[in-house]
Amino acid sequence: MALLEEIAETSGMPAYSLPEYPLVTICPSKKWVALNLRDLWAYREVLYFLIWRDIKVRYKQTLLGVAWAIIQPLFTMLVFWLFFGRLAGLPSDGIPYPLFAYAGLVPWTFVSNAVSSAGNSLIGNPSLITRVYFPRLIIPCAAVGAGLMDFAIILLFLLVPMATYGVAITWHLLLLPFLITLTTLLALGVGLWLAALNVQYRDIRYVLPFLIQLWMYSTPLIYPTSLVPAQWRWLFAFNPLAGLVEGYRAALFGRQWDWTALSISSSITVVLVVTAAYTFRRMEKTFADVV
Amino acid sequence: MRPIIIAEHLSKQYRIGAHAGQRGAVRYVTLRESLVEGVRASFRRWWGGERSVAETIWALRDVSFTVMPGEVTGIVGRNGSGKSTLLKILSRVTEPTSGRAELYGQVASLLDVGTGFHPDLTGRENIYLNGAILGMKQYEIERKFDEIVAFAEVERFLDTPVKYYSSGMYLRLAFAIGAHLSSAILIVDEILAVGDVNFQMKCLGKIDEVTHDGRTVVLVSHDLNLIAHLCHTALLLRDGHLQRVGPAREVVDDYRTVLSSGDGQEAAL
Repeated sequence: MALLEEIAETSGMPAYSLPEYPLVTICPSKKWVALNLRDLWAYREVLYFLIWRDIKVRYKQTLLGVAWAIIQPLFTMLVFWLFFGRLAGLPSDGIPYPLFAYAGLVPWTFVSNAVSSAGNSLIGNPSLITRVYFPRLIIPCAAVGAGLMDFAIILLFLLVPMATYGVAITWHLLLLPFLITLTTLLALGVGLWLAALNVQYRDIRYVLPFLIQLWMYSTPLIYPTSLVPAQWRWLFAFNPLAGLVEGYRAALFGRQWDWTALSISSSITVVLVVTAAYTFRRMEKTFADVV
Repeated sequence: MRPIIIAEHLSKQYRIGAHAGQRGAVRYVTLRESLVEGVRASFRRWWGGERSVAETIWALRDVSFTVMPGEVTGIVGRNGSGKSTLLKILSRVTEPTSGRAELYGQVASLLDVGTGFHPDLTGRENIYLNGAILGMKQYEIERKFDEIVAFAEVERFLDTPVKYYSSGMYLRLAFAIGAHLSSAILIVDEILAVGDVNFQMKCLGKIDEVTHDGRTVVLVSHDLNLIAHLCHTALLLRDGHLQRVGPAREVVDDYRTVLSSGDGQEAAL
């Protein structure tokens, strides 16, 4: 073997030094497969370019560009304020209602957009699945990642109403990165579940807007958690976004933290992400045949 | 010398439901179909009847072969003989139902041109995007950028969104990126029929160059002259079975005889 290669080298032919073990082994995978994080890391540039593509296209196609990011939560906030704050007179835990509503809409806008674009990401890009190989997990991850740009813009814009109302910034704000991480993980967990199911069951695409709407009403966006009767709070806590939204309000306005709700939210989020990733990997092998 | 590709008993089964539209394609199901099927299956089990056997086809059946480093292998066969399925398995797009393959080198596959191209992005942006999707590292793309642009002849339109490109320009750019992949193994589906005659000549030249680089190429084409000219070895597939392996010219001649013997005989076999 070594001799052959030597001969090849001296005779001017290209020398092939094949690796001892195959770089790629192709075989039917078992029912449950490892996440294969190394493969994911090897293809990180694809993730980066897909996120970059989504962001670039988004701001290129739309005339208003960056403004779109703010328009959605801003107008929702105005509608909430007018109808629920003013007309219905819903309480807002002593925070000015517009601020109260906008603070909830910051994570909500991100989560709802990220979940729906991640959920549709696989069926929306069939050629990425049937024509080329890279870990399919990257596709919904990129959809969620691209939403982070808007998230940042919306969050920064919050400074405007906060300054208007003269809200003081407190040390509570330091917990914001923790909340943002959790929110991203939550969007990823739900998005991965829906993306994988969407390939198998096309109904998901039609159910998705409806599910998101239901999720919105069961999240304390319009009303404060304190409005929920005490004996039902535990059930309420099973919506991981509920604890998160109140967390944002606590961080931004220096309010009391509800650590129980937040730890339930975090636990559910972690469970969601882990189960979603494994389910996705399990279903992944049939994507190319079904999509 | 050891082979760079070892394929052993590769098989791929597709399930085609009663409602399946296209032959060989599994259609997605709706939740309702799954529920109905689930209820039916449990009833059948209850009554002790036979299990429902979804209609299946073997797109590929027990295919084994090896490819030596630097060898150019062509795959020929009629439509539906399993050529594309084999390429999809080798490029890891889909999993085999059974069997295994070992690849002793980095693989890049060109099953289509312009995968991931976005019409609103400029030529420059799409080169980076498509390059990354095809498995190129960013520094590699940067190094080969000028070469790709020159090959595709789109210098003047680099910063124009590709939706304004003529279809020829679009395909040239898409092909140019793929042609500059530098992996040890290159898997190419029928994509050489791109652009005008001049560009086709250029593409063939490029493929020739790639094959003389000592890289391993597996390609599918309906152009038998091309296969005979480019390839050392050819595989002839028929109904998912590997019918013949051998020197490209011989296999191509063989296949030509089969083709000219007509459909009637084919059906009788």
